[in-house]
Amino acid sequence: MQGFMTRETLLKWAPVLVLIFLLLVFPIFEMTNAWAKGKEHIYLLDSRFLSIRNLARIAISATPALMVALGVTFIILMGSIDLSMEGTVSVTAVGFAYAFLWLGGTLASWAWLAIPLALLIGAAIGLINGIVHVKLRIPSFMASLAMGFVGTGFALLLTGGDRVRVEDPLFRALLTVRWMNFPIMVYVAAAFLLLMWFIQTRTKLGRNFYAVGGGEELAAASGLNVNRVRILGFMLAGICYGMGGLMAVGKIGIAETVTGANFMFISITAVVVGGTALWGGIGGVLNTLVGVLIVFVINNGMVVIGLPSYIQSAVLGILVIVAVVLSTDRRSVSFVK
Amino acid sequence: MSFIKKHVEQATLNRRNFLLASIAGAGSLALPMSARPAFAADGPTIAWSYRNRTNPYWNAIVSGGGRFVESLGMSADDLVHLLNEGSSEKSLADVKALLSKTGGNLALGIDTNDAPNARPVVEACQAAGGYVTTIWNKTADLHPWDFGDNYVAHISWSDTKPAEEVANILIDAMGGSGGIVGLGGIPSNNPAIERRQGLDNAMAANGNTELLDYQAADWDTQKAAEIMSSYLTRFGDDIKGVFCANDTMAFGAVEALRAEGLAGQVPVVGYDGTAQAAEYIKSGEMQATCYTDPPWAGGVACSLAYHAAIGTFKPSEEPKGHREFYGPALVVSKADVDQFVADHIDGTPEVDWTDFWGPTTPAA
Amino acid sequence: MYELINVDKRFPGVHALKAVDFKVNRGEIVGLVGENGAGKSTLMKVIYGSYQPDGGDITIDGTKVRFQNPRQAMDHGIGMVFQEQSLITNLTVMENIFLGFEQQFVSFGVINWRKMADAARAQLAKVKLDIDPSTKTSQLSFAQRQLVELAKVLTLEERIDGDLVILLDEPTSVLASEEVELLFQIVRDLTSRASFIFVSHRMEEVLELSDRIYVMKDGEVVDVVEHDKADKESIQHKMVGREVDKEYYREQKQKPYDGDRVLLSVDGLGFAGRFADVSFDLHAGEVLCLVGTEGSGREAILRTVFGIDRPDTGSVTVKDQKITRFSAQNGVTMGIGYLPRERKVEGIVAGMNVYENMTLSQMGNYASAGILRIGEERALAEDQVARLSIKTPDIFKDCGGLSGGNQQKVVLAKWRSGGSEILLMDHPTRGLDIGAKEDVYDMIREMSDEGVGIILVADTLEEAIGLSHNIIVLKDGEVQKRFTGAPGSKPSLYDLVHHMI
Repeated sequence: MQGFMTRETLLKWAPVLVLIFLLLVFPIFEMTNAWAKGKEHIYLLDSRFLSIRNLARIAISATPALMVALGVTFIILMGSIDLSMEGTVSVTAVGFAYAFLWLGGTLASWAWLAIPLALLIGAAIGLINGIVHVKLRIPSFMASLAMGFVGTGFALLLTGGDRVRVEDPLFRALLTVRWMNFPIMVYVAAAFLLLMWFIQTRTKLGRNFYAVGGGEELAAASGLNVNRVRILGFMLAGICYGMGGLMAVGKIGIAETVTGANFMFISITAVVVGGTALWGGIGGVLNTLVGVLIVFVINNGMVVIGLPSYIQSAVLGILVIVAVVLSTDRRSVSFVK
Repeated sequence: MSFIKKHVEQATLNRRNFLLASIAGAGSLALPMSARPAFAADGPTIAWSYRNRTNPYWNAIVSGGGRFVESLGMSADDLVHLLNEGSSEKSLADVKALLSKTGGNLALGIDTNDAPNARPVVEACQAAGGYVTTIWNKTADLHPWDFGDNYVAHISWSDTKPAEEVANILIDAMGGSGGIVGLGGIPSNNPAIERRQGLDNAMAANGNTELLDYQAADWDTQKAAEIMSSYLTRFGDDIKGVFCANDTMAFGAVEALRAEGLAGQVPVVGYDGTAQAAEYIKSGEMQATCYTDPPWAGGVACSLAYHAAIGTFKPSEEPKGHREFYGPALVVSKADVDQFVADHIDGTPEVDWTDFWGPTTPAA
Repeated sequence: MYELINVDKRFPGVHALKAVDFKVNRGEIVGLVGENGAGKSTLMKVIYGSYQPDGGDITIDGTKVRFQNPRQAMDHGIGMVFQEQSLITNLTVMENIFLGFEQQFVSFGVINWRKMADAARAQLAKVKLDIDPSTKTSQLSFAQRQLVELAKVLTLEERIDGDLVILLDEPTSVLASEEVELLFQIVRDLTSRASFIFVSHRMEEVLELSDRIYVMKDGEVVDVVEHDKADKESIQHKMVGREVDKEYYREQKQKPYDGDRVLLSVDGLGFAGRFADVSFDLHAGEVLCLVGTEGSGREAILRTVFGIDRPDTGSVTVKDQKITRFSAQNGVTMGIGYLPRERKVEGIVAGMNVYENMTLSQMGNYASAGILRIGEERALAEDQVARLSIKTPDIFKDCGGLSGGNQQKVVLAKWRSGGSEILLMDHPTRGLDIGAKEDVYDMIREMSDEGVGIILVADTLEEAIGLSHNIIVLKDGEVQKRFTGAPGSKPSLYDLVHHMI
């Protein structure tokens, strides 16, 4: 119980320690690489990996995934799982792009309405997810997976397999304009993270997520409308996916059916690696921030030190297992299904 | 510019309608049964069998088939579409069904979904007396000349040589020396292997260049952008050129450079000759791409089978180089991009569909 | 025969067993009692091989043994019947009995089910249970499952040479009294085959069944009492180190309730298969006990009154308002609070801290436009922690880490501070040690004084008699008899049992 480094404290901070460890370990490889080539290299000081420019690159890469991971964080906090993110991101991205172009094609016109529209589309998909899950009593992973496929199919239907380009310089300023070395999209993401943190810690809804995840029967017996909380959770997640779609379009200027591809693995990995328990009730959006950063620091760092890309997937897979092992009190769980 | 937009919109609209139609129940197999092509009494039915309509590449291929049908004075809708949806079994079954429906009076262009499926498809056509041209997939031991006249020809592409040309344009743009980073396709894909080979060949011929790193970005724009930004950290100003195994990855690389204000300053090349790549070449954000003219191949596949069927030429009398050949590859760079856009993107080139082998190179 | 000599066990910060001597003779039933945390469960885990002692010896017939795991202990004849039933409910009885030991029935890689069924029947005969071994375990009653569990442990008889020692960990906790009697009869008969170690919270049962009783306190064996010399009060005295006075249930604090103020009125309430035609009134300040065996409908009535289940017939009227919408949410809005039996499942949210748990049912009172006023939440929690002397380092402590008694106080604080005037309590003292139980009794009295109406399903009949103003005896979902229980004129145990069975 007493003592500074208890198991609980250690577990709580483990993701942050991993992140710091990674940030310090990649420069070591850089240094040895430089020495192998006979170049002078001072550890950390000469590191390109730890340069502001590279940190900005990591931040840009991580931004869309962070938005998506924030959404799924709430769902996992409730002890459910949402696998609709890939389809939802694609649909919101494509829906946004078409609406944006149709409404004028520049933020300086009514086309800005496409942004709330994208978030609305995300919320609507989340609403359907939630209703299907709660009212038809279908397990959340199945309901959301199915909705994800519907989303991908719908995006395909909209685009017919084409790529939709959003070239408005005002919108692309998300990527191209920088304040203090970081592009605007990073600040937008930070503001959104703050909003989600506020919802998590300061609102009834956020508290209810924890209550439902910590003990659904109890939450019900305390008079909570658990179904409503679940549906709202899926809607909030949908809005986050919508933000993810917007950021993805902002990042590469293209919306297409595959815009959402890969988000499922990366976002759930990030949530778990960040220390949010898969069975609900423990964790939060700040854990997810750390988790997303870990995933993208690894992705970036592996290329920076010159490891082939296929090793990255393997390393991430191992990391997920390690994270789950670390965060589970194995003594209390004798069998796992 | 506006024409491209209109063209794309029109094509997208058509495809969307098609997708909606297939949702409504007018499935792909139903098409050959319901659509009654208005052919001249004894002309063969003309058909294309391929994967699905959601892929821009296949849409381009089949649009050529439609143009060929139009050149015969019919409507493009008279081209029968057989969609295999990624199933070799469906591919073969649809072909057999159409052969029996037409009594063998069929001119077919087909990608058989996988290589082993080519043999049963070709054998079915020969047995029924239909004429077939295959594209992309066939096993190495299967040859048109072993089937008399019915297996008219096989069209594929070799990307090694064109990719080498594209790489040479990149190296020229770099001033002949410096570091190159590469973004490859899914490592096991044949085009990914051949395009990489093209880059290697070009660099071997030019001793002043260095391949800094070459990683797979799996044909994916976002992944390409991420790897490119990591390259920028690792190699910084040492990157003098970027070789991408296709255009979609090149767009990711351009966006990663744009984020750093470097778009247009570091040469980038791609492959596939997309309209967006052409725009980037015009604006200087890309240096080159390579256009394989899918509509031409899709049209000439039908044309070969059709003319063999009506007896315009006798395939068995043609040399092997006319039976197995590589499709066209048009390298596009700043110098010829305007011409390319005018010919292939804003306009549709006037094609003589009986000039079967004009832009091709023999593969056998 | 089986003996622990000078056994020590330490955990970080806790000296769980201090030089414990413990002995079981052949054919003997040994009782083990002690408060929560006295070291009973540690001792049991050492006996059946789940923990390894840090010091001292374990001997069987004078030979030193050391168990690395329960499997090794089983091979030496030590079997365990667990408190939380360890049968897998979707398997059949015989599959459960031979779980992990199916090899003996396998020929050519296939299980010979008939052979297994015959063997299972032989085991079931030992515990006098006449059921089809191919019955799904989920279809059995709790008592039957307990016997199956015992039969499963008795398979050791065939598997090993030497004597059996069987641990019974709270075997009666889910059984009704007649089932307990049956179980005891079987255990007594089985002493020809095995020795037993019997662990229970229920002192009377331990006294009745055991030949010798070990009394533990703070990791030590403080006394060993022979059956004939055993005396409940002296044992309790040794267990808790203090006298448990006759006023255990705070009878002197029981005051008459306000007969004019009806808080809750239940009329002709029925729920198919659970209970039928139940009517009663609950008044301000009244403690109403529902008494009956397991399955008599006590819990189902609580759940229906709260709103979790919808009744088929009858009506519930709360403060002159007839309830039409049955949901837990509506129950809470109407001022009803519910303390479920499974505190871990339905009582507190582990992972949420003290103040978060306290406002869980009343977040609306602490939020404006969905945004929580956390400062006020904390002030409430500080206040309640002080008033109820909840033992927690601070209000940011994870509730899952509190002791059972303090968890129960948090739950009570949640409902009381939320203004619930009607409290439904399902076994509020289950699993609590004596000190914590007394705290709960005090709280019940205090709430009565404040005019709260309480419907109670008590852990024991004594508790029900001691605490209640009125008692309703239920049997098979029907009201059998009503008793009033003013101090001094309370019904006897016999009165109640008479109508229960």
